[in-house]
Amino acid sequence: MTGRPERGGLDRAAVERMLVDTSPYLSCDDCFARIDEYAEHRAADPSHRDELMEVHLAGCEACAEEARTLIALLS
Amino acid sequence: MTIVDNIPAGLGDVVSDDDWYRHLGDPDPAGSAAQRTLHDLLLRATRTQVWRLRNRLPGVGATDLEDLAQQAADDALLSVMRKLDTFEGRSRFSTWVYKFGVLHAGVAVRRQAWRHREVMLSDSLPMADHDHSPSAVAEGGDLVRAVRRALESALTPHQRTIMLALLVEQVPIDVLAERLGTTRNTLYKTVHDARQRLRRALIVSGHLDPQLDRRRP
Ligand SMILES: [Zn+2]
Repeated sequence: MTGRPERGGLDRAAVERMLVDTSPYLSCDDCFARIDEYAEHRAADPSHRDELMEVHLAGCEACAEEARTLIALLS
Repeated sequence: MTIVDNIPAGLGDVVSDDDWYRHLGDPDPAGSAAQRTLHDLLLRATRTQVWRLRNRLPGVGATDLEDLAQQAADDALLSVMRKLDTFEGRSRFSTWVYKFGVLHAGVAVRRQAWRHREVMLSDSLPMADHDHSPSAVAEGGDLVRAVRRALESALTPHQRTIMLALLVEQVPIDVLAERLGTTRNTLYKTVHDARQRLRRALIVSGHLDPQLDRRRP
């Protein structure tokens, strides 16, 4: 790599993203395996809790984006 | 039909009957009808996702967004047909189908959004005090300084590189996986392990309360 990369700043929002507690661990594939069932529960009852899924979605923006759209499709 | 008018008339009646999918792959009119229903469902999902993410593609017109949704629906259809025998009935079949459409559309939008953007990979931190650029100012405060130290001391260079790319540069995880020839799973695991190490170091140094609330989606 040549030169200094232009990086985004290490601001508070970035620090918050780094400090998200993603335990207990769930992989993106396992999240995908459960996301349809999760979305149906959440669409039917927004107070539905699923710790494993919530922890993953808090730490994985791509999966979280998919979950939001899936819930919107069912709502 | 444009990206905003979604579901064809009559589809609601068809998808309420969750048995139609059993005809998928049959070499008869029922099989063809099932295939069309499947494609319509996928298109509903891909159009919805492309539309929701359209601000990631500034300057891209409705026709190109529609093409993206159509292509994602075609790709998703192949995935669904390949994975048909893994459907266990834990959700409605239509919901199970939607998730493939949403996945393929999201990947397509993010890939296109980053098509001409270089992904900078470096394990060096954006240190304001070493940087002459006036814009590269890191927010002060104990926690941010402690995080800088922990990033240097508690993470491997590889963990730091991945964490900085995903969480500071905010390169989408599937884009980064593609560029590095790896998988979303592998990158998520790397960043999970890095987060654990970082949190542990900050708890030990007294900068992080282990009971700190998790952010919820
Ligand atoms: Zn994920």
